[in-house]
Order: sequence, then C-alpha cells, then structure tokens
Amino acid sequence: MTSKRRWTWLLGVLAIAAGLSMMVAAYSAAGTKHKTAATKPIGTLRAVIDTIDYLDPQQAYTGQSWWAMWNVYETLLTYRHVDGPGGYKLVPGLAQSLPTVSRNGKVYKFKLRKGLKYSNGAAVKASDFKWAIKRGFLATGQGVGFYTDIAGAEAYSKNPTPQGNIPGIIVNNKKRTIVIKLAKPRGDFLTILALLFAAPVPGNTGPAIQNGSIPGTGPYKFASYDPNRSFVMVRNPYFKATRFIPRGTPNRVEVSLIGDADAATQRVASGQADYSNAAISPDRIADAKSKGHLVLRDTANTYYFWMNIREAPFNKLKVRQAVNMAIDRKQMQTDVWGGLGKATQNVLPPTYPSYKKLSLYPHNLTKAKQLITQAGAKGATVKVWTRNVTDAVRAATDYQGVLNSIGLNASLTILPRATYYTTIGNVNTHAQTGWARWLEDYPHPLDWFDVLLNGNRITDQDNNNFAWYKNKKTDKEIEQLKKQPVLTPAVNAKWATVEKQIMQQAPWAPWSNRVFPEFFTKQIGCIHIQRLYGIDLARLCRK
Amino acid sequence: MAEPATDLTPLEDSAELLAAEEHEVQIVGRSPTYLAWRRLRRNYVALFSLGVFIVIVTACSLAPVYAHHIAHTGPNTIHSSEQVRVNGKLRKVVGGGSFYDAKTNTFVVRGVSILGPTWWHADGRFVLGSDSLGRDVAVRMLYGGLNSLKIGIGSAFICSFLAIVLALIAGYFRGWPDWIISRFFDLIWAFPVLLLAIAIGSALQVNGFHHFGINIEPGSLWIPLLVISYVLIPYIGRPLRGQILSLREKEFIEASVGQGASPLRIMFSDLLPNIASTTLVFFTLIIASNILTEAGLSYLGAGVQPPNPSWGTLIAEGQDHINTAPWLAIIPGLAVVTTVLAMNIFGDGLRDALDPRAKVRVEH
Repeated sequence: MTSKRRWTWLLGVLAIAAGLSMMVAAYSAAGTKHKTAATKPIGTLRAVIDTIDYLDPQQAYTGQSWWAMWNVYETLLTYRHVDGPGGYKLVPGLAQSLPTVSRNGKVYKFKLRKGLKYSNGAAVKASDFKWAIKRGFLATGQGVGFYTDIAGAEAYSKNPTPQGNIPGIIVNNKKRTIVIKLAKPRGDFLTILALLFAAPVPGNTGPAIQNGSIPGTGPYKFASYDPNRSFVMVRNPYFKATRFIPRGTPNRVEVSLIGDADAATQRVASGQADYSNAAISPDRIADAKSKGHLVLRDTANTYYFWMNIREAPFNKLKVRQAVNMAIDRKQMQTDVWGGLGKATQNVLPPTYPSYKKLSLYPHNLTKAKQLITQAGAKGATVKVWTRNVTDAVRAATDYQGVLNSIGLNASLTILPRATYYTTIGNVNTHAQTGWARWLEDYPHPLDWFDVLLNGNRITDQDNNNFAWYKNKKTDKEIEQLKKQPVLTPAVNAKWATVEKQIMQQAPWAPWSNRVFPEFFTKQIGCIHIQRLYGIDLARLCRK
Repeated sequence: MAEPATDLTPLEDSAELLAAEEHEVQIVGRSPTYLAWRRLRRNYVALFSLGVFIVIVTACSLAPVYAHHIAHTGPNTIHSSEQVRVNGKLRKVVGGGSFYDAKTNTFVVRGVSILGPTWWHADGRFVLGSDSLGRDVAVRMLYGGLNSLKIGIGSAFICSFLAIVLALIAGYFRGWPDWIISRFFDLIWAFPVLLLAIAIGSALQVNGFHHFGINIEPGSLWIPLLVISYVLIPYIGRPLRGQILSLREKEFIEASVGQGASPLRIMFSDLLPNIASTTLVFFTLIIASNILTEAGLSYLGAGVQPPNPSWGTLIAEGQDHINTAPWLAIIPGLAVVTTVLAMNIFGDGLRDALDPRAKVRVEH
C-alpha cells in the first residue's frame, strides 16, 4: 500500500467512524425528542376559565374567548407560537406569505395557501375573507371599528347589506388572491388583520351570532357549547400544520366557564381540572402554589386612574400632577392583588419596544398637598367611578383614600360591570375621575395612544378617551405616527416621546402592569405562554 | 207583688262583688296594655332578646366615639402600609405579599398576611383585626351596624306608615280605592322581594333619583332605605287591610258612621287603635326582616355602596379572604344573625303578649 493509498484508507475509516457517530447521536436525539412528544400525550385537557362573551369570530372581544378561538379560527396573518417578545412577531397564517405592501402604505396583497379547508370539509375561498369583514358590519360586531379605514368600508357601514360591496377588498377565488386598499395609510393594519374579527368564515354563514357553530380553519373545532357553562374543542380533521401553526397537543379540550375565581382555583387544587386562569385571590396564592404549578402570565396591560381634564378640579394640571404624586404605586400592588403587579407611570406596558420607563412623579404626599393648595382645589368634591369587580373596587377605594389624604373630598360610585364603560364614556355623565384598565388588542402603540388618548377620536358616546384628553401637539404627532408602516427604532423612540409629553400633562395616573396567575395541576408540564393569547395548547404536555 | 227591678243596684250582683264574697279578694280591672306588659315581662327570653338588641343599637350608636377616642381611625381609613404594636411587638397591618424583583426580573410569590384580632393588646387599635386594605374591622363593624340599623329601623318606620295608610284607605272605603290598592299590593307581591329590591336598587345606584324635586345621589343610604320600604309594603299592608275590612263591619264603626263621624276620624280614632297591637308586632318583625334584606342587597352590591360599611358589604368583602382571614366574614355574619334573632324572638314575645291568638308573621 502506497503512502497515498494508506492516507486515503485512513481518511475513509475516519469518515465512516465520524458518520456512524453522527448517526448514533442523531438517533439518540431523535429518540429523546420522540420520547418527550409522544410518550406523554396530554389526552384531554380540562380547563376552567372565566365567563366568555361569544364564540363567534366576528363578535368575541374578551381575552377568554380569544384564547380558545385562536386555536379554532385562523387569520391571514397570525403570531408565532413562542414565549416572550418573539410572540409579537407577525407570521403568515392562512396567507401563503407576508403580504406585499405598496409604497404609500395603502395597498396590501395576499395570496391564500393552497388546499385550505374548513373543519366541515368545505374549501376556503378568498371571498370568505371579504364576507367576514362584511359580516362584522352586518352584525354590528364589536370589532368593526378597526376596519373602517378600508376603502369604501365607512360608506358600507352606514347601510350594510349582504349584497353590498366594500370596494376596498378585491378578491379572486381562482387565484386565491386578496387585495386590500385603504382610504388612508395605517401603520397598525397588519396587526389589525391578525385580529380574530378578520378570520374568514364560509360565505353562507349568516350575520346572526352563532356561538361555536361556525367552521374554522385552526387545529381545533368546537364540538359543543353550553352557554355560560362549558364548551368542548376537538381536533379539526382537515387541519394541516404549518411552520407557524402547529398542532395542539391535547386531543380534546373541555372548558368549564366559572366566574367565581375561588371556585375555579379549587377545581384545579382538588384535581377536578387541569388548568385555570382565574384571578387567584392574594391570600390563596401561597396555598395554590403548594398544590400545583403557578405560572405568571406577563401580558400587555396597564391599570390606571383617568382624570377628566374637562371637569373641575382635574381641569387644573397641578391637581392631576398632585394625584400622580400622591399614589403609592408600590403599596397599591400589595393592596389590590397581593403584589402580583409592577408599579408603573407609563401608558405603555414594558413589553413594548416603544416603552421607555417614566419616573415623572415620585411618591411625595407633602408636595401633592402643596400642589392641591396652590391649585385652590382643597376640599373640592370628587366622585371616583369604578365597576363592581373586586379588584376594581379595591383599587378605587385605595384611590379614594389617596384623594382624601391630599385634601380633596372624594366619594365612590360603583357601577355594574356591564354598564361601567358606556356610562363613563358618555359625555353627559361628566365623570370626573375613576378606574380603568386596558389590555392590548394587538401589539402596536396605536392600540393605546390612538384609542385612549387621541383627542381627535373623542366621541360623545362610547368614548374610550375617559380623560377627554385633547392636546393639539400630541394629537398631531399621533396622526403622523399612524402613517408609519413599520415600527423601526426611530419610530419607537418617537412614540416614547409622545408618551412622555402626554404624561407630563398627567391625564392619567397609571399605577400597575398586572401579571396574571395561571394555575395548573402538578401533572401538567411544558407550560408555555404566548404573549398575546396565553397558554399555548401546541406545547403543553403531561408529566 | 214583686219588688221593682229598679231597686236592685248593678253592684249587688256584679261579678266583682260575688267574687269578693266568695274569696274575699277584690278584683281590680286591668287595661289590655297592662295585661300585655304582664305577659311580656314573664317572657324572659323575649326580654333578654330586647336587651341584646338595645345593647347592639347602643354600641353601634357609639361608633363615632369608639372610632375617635379608642381606635383613633375612621371606618374607611387605610393603614395597609403601617405597623402596629401588639403586646409590645411591632406587626405589619398587611404584610407579606408577592413582589417584583427587578434584579432577577421575576416575581417572588408569597401569600398576604392580614393582622388578626388584637383583643385590646394594641391600645384599642384593630381589636377585631384588619381587612385586606388595612382598615380597622371593629370600627367598620360598628359603623356598618349603624348603617344597617338606620336602614332597618328607618325603612320599618316608612314601610309601616305607608302600609297603615294604604290599608286604612282600602279597608274603610272599599270599592274602587280598595281595588286599586289591592292590585298595587298584588303587583309588588308578585315579585320575589330580593329580586325586586336588587332591580330597583341597582337602577338607582347608577344615576340616583332626581324626580319630583327629590334628589338622591347614587351611593346614598336613602336608596336601600327607600327600596326596602317600598318592596315590603304589601307584607304589612295586606294583613292590615284584611283586619280593617273585618273591623269595618263591627257595630262600633256603624255607630260612629251613624253619629256622623268623618271618614278620617273613623279611620284614625276608631280603626287605628284597634290595629295598633298588630302594627306594633309587625313593626318589630319587619325591622329584623329589613336588616336581613339590607344585608342581602349590600352583599350583592345593590345596597350600601363601598367603601361605606354595612354588615352586608363587610360579609361580601370578607368572603374573598375566608380561607386565611375568616373573621372578616364571620364577625359581621354573627352580628346580623344575633340582631335578627333578637328582634324576631322579641317580636314573637310581643305578639304573644298583645294577642296570643294572633298569627302575625312577616313572610316573603
């Protein structure tokens, strides 16, 4: 054997050895993976959640409904099934890819994936998307306001008929294309398309509310729905997993609807249920922790007290600043939810890339009293509004105490949960100040500043800007930023500036970014939280 | 010839004289009030219940004195961030709780501990402990009792007054006034008391009442007081109307009519005294019923509005902490039970004393 041959032989042996080693390693890894995924299936997941509003994609507008429906109805674009900030990333859902967007930010072109089917076996058509948007207007769905910037939608909304047309949505069923034209550019439009309100439904679906009976395209379908009691989700036989939309791990999800948080928690503690997202009362937290898995869900929310800048004494900046200074935000976290919240002075929650921590109002009761005296507001009568929900009453009670401690004469008005927001959002109520919270609809600063603090969007009824905050400078900046199609670092910095300018005017006293406890039995593992929709059914497993 | 009957004086064969002759004991005439009192004072359980009720009323009436001079706090004053010296040791009013650790960017999950009853070991502060916002439970109990009693007794007065007036009109005039008033009673009677009270109470709590020159703000104690007065009218009015209808047929009323007495005079001078004992019994029983209704309404959020305390709101607030701070719900619960039981037992005793054959009870 020549030296060359010897080397060739030696290299060959080494290559074979390396190849074999890699095969063994790969096999071991595959075996491990296989073991994790397949040997511990979840089977049936028994969940307990708070009551829901609807199980109809064009109607549902609660986090509870969306948690379930995200697994039943797919939208053109959706969010990644990952933990943390990555969960905010938009990815193709029913669309083949992310859309092409025109330079002026007004035209969006989509193409549907091939071979899409609903859970009843019917093919998904491009026209079903258009019907879903029209259906929202026909049924006066809760989310139609998001879609009025589509060209012609505003006019359609005034006289919606099934035969009527929204010219801004052009569909081609053969080519599976959807073209959406906007009347004016809107930076958050892609996130709006990812809302479940825009989930396509079969063209023969009537506009009337249909809870749980509309076929969807997601990994599950609703098998039954007993209003205010329970619903069941089973696998959708026509669902095909994609890179971004995985299969769920449970074969069946049985959901009980229980409004009483203690009862819901007890179900899990006693092993009658696997999971509950009920707001565990602060003094049961330690007990719950010892009986199961307690996972804290860090969602984007801000709890705040609004101060109506049109109504005395909050028409004076010094009074609003005094209130912000008087609130002991750290103590309030303990008082209201046993410490499961982060003190904040920001409008935006810290989960946003636009977030820049504000510390404009350090807790200083003496200074706050001085400001009230300087404003001539000592002894001013103030009515604090809140809704009849335990944590809201507790927070408002604390807030009322704060207002009294700085020299105002505050009393509490508690409204039923169902009528609270419509009452305080009515101009004739002349509500001075009160409790409110905002949970994101979609991850974009516009969902906060445009909806809650843009003076141009104030309405006499159903107003979301409870502070009736109107400021030429910040309103103009919001309108300009609305046109920015992408949240670049520069755009995020501008949003942070707007936020600071607003908070210098103190129309709000933000006080908490709450975390929500999710409670599991010890048998449930692989608990992952999608930032927008909560517990991810695609990654759960049983221990 | 027989002696004329007129020679016989009435006293000669009167029962008193005959009894005196037989037993040599003078029988003295007693008024119904005296007889009732004599029967009542022999009923020790009823008297004890009255005593308990008086003690509760007195204690609650002294709430401002207790709050100012002993507990040194108000019913709604929050002390959650404070510490109190119990048996010489400093203790947090509301301690523990989870917290956010910025260094590790995680939450440390811990339970909240609420200061329990100090039983006078903290210079009169937090005698019955604290609630989750660090408010003095004893102070809130007394103020809560004051509110509950104000509503209970106040609505009993209003309810009884309206029921008597309506029953007198219906029973005396009969005919169409009776028909209208009876249908009004039937209408209210057709609804379950608590449901009707919740419906009216919730509606009024939103905007208050601003009609006919009356202005009642949301959150005012007048709302539960008037709502309870209104919904319980037929429960007194209907039995009284029946009694008046029966009395209306008696000879003494016919005699008054014959003598030309005015309807008002007959109603208030002849009929009213004859239903006084029944009314008195109803009044005591309705106080107990009203306190219960108020507790129910406030528990459900349609009565006294937080942060103002009442026994009902205190039970509702305490319910959230039943596992770790059970006294928050048990103490106001016991107060309601004791007060209602005392009033019911006393009411029954009063009924037995005034008219042992009567079957007066408040049923709804």
